[in-house]
Amino acid sequence: MLDTTIILQILWTSLATSSYYVLFAVAFALVLKVTRLFNFAQAAIMTVAFYTAFVAVQWLHWPAWAAFIAMMSTTLAASYGLERIGFEALRKRGVSVMFVFVFTFMVSEFVAYLAMLIFGTWPQTIFPGIFWPVTLVGNIAISAWDLPAIGVTVASLGALLAFTRFTRIGQFMVGVADNPDLAELYGINKRQIFLVVMLIAGAFVGLGMFLYGMRAQVLPQTGLSLMIFAVAATIIGGIGNIAGAAIAAIILGVIQNASILVISSEWQGFLLYIFLFLAIVFFPNGLRLPQRRSRFGTATRERAAEQGRSAAESKA
Amino acid sequence: MSEFSRGTRRVARGVACIAAGLILASSAFAQDTFRFGLAMPLTGSQALYGQDQVKAAEWAVAEINKAGGVNGKKLEMIVLDTQADPQLGIQTANRLVSVEKVPAFVTAWSAVVKAVAPIANDNRVVELSVGANSPDIAKLGDYVYTTFPLADVDIAAVAKYAATNMSKKKAAIVYINNETGSVAAEVYKKVFTAAGGQIVANETYDPKATDFTGPLLKVRAANPDIIHLQGLVSDTPQVIAQMRQLGLTQPITSYSAAFNPKLIQQLGAAAEGVIATSLAPGAEDSEKVKAYVARWQKDVGREPNGLPYTQYLYDAPYMVAAVFKSLDDKKLPITGESFRKEMLAMRTFDLPLTGKTALGEDHTVVKAVYLMEVKDGKWTRKAVVGE
Repeated sequence: MLDTTIILQILWTSLATSSYYVLFAVAFALVLKVTRLFNFAQAAIMTVAFYTAFVAVQWLHWPAWAAFIAMMSTTLAASYGLERIGFEALRKRGVSVMFVFVFTFMVSEFVAYLAMLIFGTWPQTIFPGIFWPVTLVGNIAISAWDLPAIGVTVASLGALLAFTRFTRIGQFMVGVADNPDLAELYGINKRQIFLVVMLIAGAFVGLGMFLYGMRAQVLPQTGLSLMIFAVAATIIGGIGNIAGAAIAAIILGVIQNASILVISSEWQGFLLYIFLFLAIVFFPNGLRLPQRRSRFGTATRERAAEQGRSAAESKA
Repeated sequence: MSEFSRGTRRVARGVACIAAGLILASSAFAQDTFRFGLAMPLTGSQALYGQDQVKAAEWAVAEINKAGGVNGKKLEMIVLDTQADPQLGIQTANRLVSVEKVPAFVTAWSAVVKAVAPIANDNRVVELSVGANSPDIAKLGDYVYTTFPLADVDIAAVAKYAATNMSKKKAAIVYINNETGSVAAEVYKKVFTAAGGQIVANETYDPKATDFTGPLLKVRAANPDIIHLQGLVSDTPQVIAQMRQLGLTQPITSYSAAFNPKLIQQLGAAAEGVIATSLAPGAEDSEKVKAYVARWQKDVGREPNGLPYTQYLYDAPYMVAAVFKSLDDKKLPITGESFRKEMLAMRTFDLPLTGKTALGEDHTVVKAVYLMEVKDGKWTRKAVVGE
């Protein structure tokens, strides 16, 4: 059983399929880090993204690029609405974290129910076909979906990194994530930053759902079940650690798939919950390497503080 | 004004007389009516299927009445909503038994069928399960019967056909890790080995899995002659796609969840050779089914959701009417007890859209299983088992 082809095949496919999980996990972890909200309404955004693409392709017969633009537009609009109508109002009222959690969960259930009423309970895909042709590299089957999916994910992560490093708003985001009240004192507009974060997370979710819906069938409840993986990756990766969430998503996917080489297949699904349990009980702050002060992180935060200060001064 | 009031009073009196007459007439008529219940999801998540099934049953009742009813008496169906929810199902069954006082009622969805079984048994009212397929349904008590083959019927047929007719010696089973999947995998294993075959791989996957590489590579390493896949409608196409991508070119068998036109659309050439089951004849097998599907297209503008299930629901009133007719012919009282006794005495029913139905001693039903295969991008009939 343990031959090299099998191991390499499992590693490759797990890596490819972890692409959308990474996007979902990063979106969830980003919102959590900056706004300090467990945004379970991400599942609702996922549902909106998928069904927009589905309607554009299957009902309106739009080409893929038009469906993608439509999907991104509604996803960003839904994220905007969620932040402005939902979270902002709740923040103003000073409600508890638990209340926001219940609210996000309710939004997801509501959207799933609405999708069920409109689209029924039959599983759907964005395009009529889900079979992707395969190329054999060595003896490893690489599907035509794999490389673009990995490419899109890597590019998105690169773009996010560049955004936080090189743009003013990106650096403000780091500042707000670090200490929102202090950032506000320095003149950073917290309200604007929260919105930007929700929009970036929405874009990641839209991309992930587009990748997922090209390869697998989706039901109105799929968003909620995909969320569990994102939540697990965020917790295991260390709450507030976006890179940790992304890495945890990849590692979890690979371990879950590769575990079949040593354990019976019926225990595979259970593994995720074992990891989650262990992480919550023994590593509530995530699995970390020994603490080392990141020069990059410090520098970025200092830069954000500096720019916030100058923004405040210019306003004054 | 007073003239107007007098006129109004006269009209009111007239209306009251007519209403009273109608009530008397209807109560007199009610004695000449055979009534039964239908408890299905008309709202909620399963309404998409439930509503179409109710429509099919309503068409059947209308046609029975149009053709003279049951010995000249009207057949009346009382339709109530269960939302496919056990709790609501219990309320519905209680109403059918205590208020409507029907001798028999039809229901579906395994959870509801199980939840209302004690009501049927305690009140001695026949519960006919039409569409639910949990194997437990055969063990729910004296008053619970099914007209729909339970889960093991088609799996057993597929396993036997693979071992005997297709002469496959080594089979692999890939199944979803839930109750339906594991029960079916057990049935397949039992029947295939009893028919002289060997199970070389028995792999499962998590209901939430989106990648199946691990279990499928284990199957590939075992090198079977045939693979049986027991998944859900939602994951089956993806598992088959991944099987083909990983170079598993063996014939694949599955069950009724795989039998839908979308599978071919989603998989294209990768769907070729996939064998699935249907528990009801299709339009190409029967003129009556062809006319029925044409009626859906004409009246509703589409095919019904879950066509085979609606065929079973269409047939249910015919079966109930046949029992009522037999009771009426013998001048027996219309009670749940007499209904059950007569139904079991009749045992076999020839129904318009699903054919011969034989109620088994063990509360199961014997029906033909249609094996369908994807050939040249179309579902074509491969064989009929147990006809």
